[in-house]
Amino acid sequence: MSWAALCAALVALAVLAWRTRRTVAGLERRLAGAHEELERLQQAFSRFAPAEVVEDIIADGLSARSEKKEITVLFADLKGFTELGEGLAPAELVTILNGYLERMSQTVVEHRGHVSKFLGDGILALFGALEANPWQTNDAVHAALAMRRALADYNATLVAAGRPALEMGVGVHRGPVVSGLIGSEGLTGYDVIGRTVNVASRVERLTRTHGVDILVTDATRAALDGRFRLRAMPAVAVKGIAGALATFAVEGFDADGRAR
Amino acid sequence: MEAPAVTTGMEWEESLLPPTSVPPALKAEVRKRLGVVPGWVARVAPVPWVARSWASMMSKPVAHVSPALCDLIALVVSQDNSCRYCFGAQRAVMRMLGYREAYIARLERSFHVADLSDAERAGLDFARRISRADPRPSRAEVERLARAGFSPPAIAELAYVAAATVFANRAATLLALPPEPFETMVDRPLVRLMRPLMARRLRARPRQPEPLPRPNDGPGAAAVATLDGSPAAGVLRAALDAAWASEVLPRRTKTLALAVVARALGCARSEGESVLALERDGFGARDVEEILATLGSTRLDARETRIVPFARETVRYHRPVPIQRRMREVAEGLEPAEVLEAVGVVALANTVCRLGLLVDLS
Repeated sequence: MSWAALCAALVALAVLAWRTRRTVAGLERRLAGAHEELERLQQAFSRFAPAEVVEDIIADGLSARSEKKEITVLFADLKGFTELGEGLAPAELVTILNGYLERMSQTVVEHRGHVSKFLGDGILALFGALEANPWQTNDAVHAALAMRRALADYNATLVAAGRPALEMGVGVHRGPVVSGLIGSEGLTGYDVIGRTVNVASRVERLTRTHGVDILVTDATRAALDGRFRLRAMPAVAVKGIAGALATFAVEGFDADGRAR
Repeated sequence: MEAPAVTTGMEWEESLLPPTSVPPALKAEVRKRLGVVPGWVARVAPVPWVARSWASMMSKPVAHVSPALCDLIALVVSQDNSCRYCFGAQRAVMRMLGYREAYIARLERSFHVADLSDAERAGLDFARRISRADPRPSRAEVERLARAGFSPPAIAELAYVAAATVFANRAATLLALPPEPFETMVDRPLVRLMRPLMARRLRARPRQPEPLPRPNDGPGAAAVATLDGSPAAGVLRAALDAAWASEVLPRRTKTLALAVVARALGCARSEGESVLALERDGFGARDVEEILATLGSTRLDARETRIVPFARETVRYHRPVPIQRRMREVAEGLEPAEVLEAVGVVALANTVCRLGLLVDLS
């Protein structure tokens, strides 16, 4: 009888041990899975916010970190797209726009930029915002030239399909911004604010005035590789900016040329 | 027998350069350092300093941290850098050394939940921070390591092991080294029987502290000096001296690559050292600034025009395939030995400048 009880107790203990081990292994798997997921999220978030900010969010759920930094802002917009849209079916309009935004975003990312937001058919891209980049201004203007080429390719596809070609304006400005998590409790995102962003947008508008596709400011030019071919445009008074704004059209890049 | 799914799923290009014959002396030297002759030796043999430096840097020349922690760092950093070659080889070596598959798998999923001490976890966190260099390691992290029981020389060695793994990761990724055949052999019955013997050959012996090599006045001197008291200082000094003494590429090309990597990482000390060296090589201060500011200049020769801008791209990349394709473009204008030396130099520059982050901190 006592042997039977002992055996039963041993079996019960063995079952208990086995079940405990299984439970612990399951919990470990779930914990590891959660960490893996967190790691993936961290990597995914690092495409939208600097690594420090992502780490703050993961550790504390928010980031109060805000800083002033010098970045290069690229603002791109389609010229006459609203009028163009009036003659197209909504689905066709969205398809054309998405094709454009996809190609331009890819080009920005290939040049180490980050698309901060789409504003209708506008693109706000930042260089040097997510990670320190000593070559941010060159990258931004190389991106603008690559966007010009990408749009030419896209237009060839559109025209071949009987659709209208698109025309783009790009403004690039370098200057200080304040960056951080900006928004309300329900809708927050990493963003930059400051006059630099407004100037880039105004410069993009000037592409219409000057009849060119890529314009950069003097501050951009000062930080730019001298092998970019630039053409000075007449200084123009612009709303919200004291004095006339000098800009330069970007014609190309001489890879074999000598820097200024 | 197949390689583990975790490695077979990693994207990777075809190898950049074919294997060549390896001089017996070089083979013996690598075997002495690592216990085996890995497949990369035959690919880098035409530029012997790359093979020697790679072998000695990865031979765990440490006196203040345990070789076991070095293994964990090599695994975690290689995985973080998406280096298919190093990750696969390191996990196979760890299997040979007796680590259980389940333990390695847990480390791969997250070292935060693996069976590790707080000190090991802090060490791995720090190693990954050195490797990523974004954000830069901070004084707070160094203090956390000190609280976890790491002495200042041990902290420098942690940084060294991470930075040396970055060297291997850059070299293996840029050359797109094919996986080691032994990856698939570790679980074969015969190999399982032989594992204890193999582990004896592979296991690094603890080393004694060593004084800083004298003279220490070449490129990367400040980074080497952070390793004072560690055998790693001599290994890194020898690697840098051999690289700069090699005549495949001019000294100035190598210094330019180092300066560019230093600027990309914001490593002030390494950039300052490089700028002074370039001025000694005949560059004016304005020329150097122009090159560093624009990554181009008419003062650069045809090889430099390829290598200098490329050096910047090796600092941070999120996936291996795009950088491997860029490497292929760069290699098109170079001789195989030049490709190897350029790869070795940019990999070494990434090591030196990551250690330099520690210098800037102090």
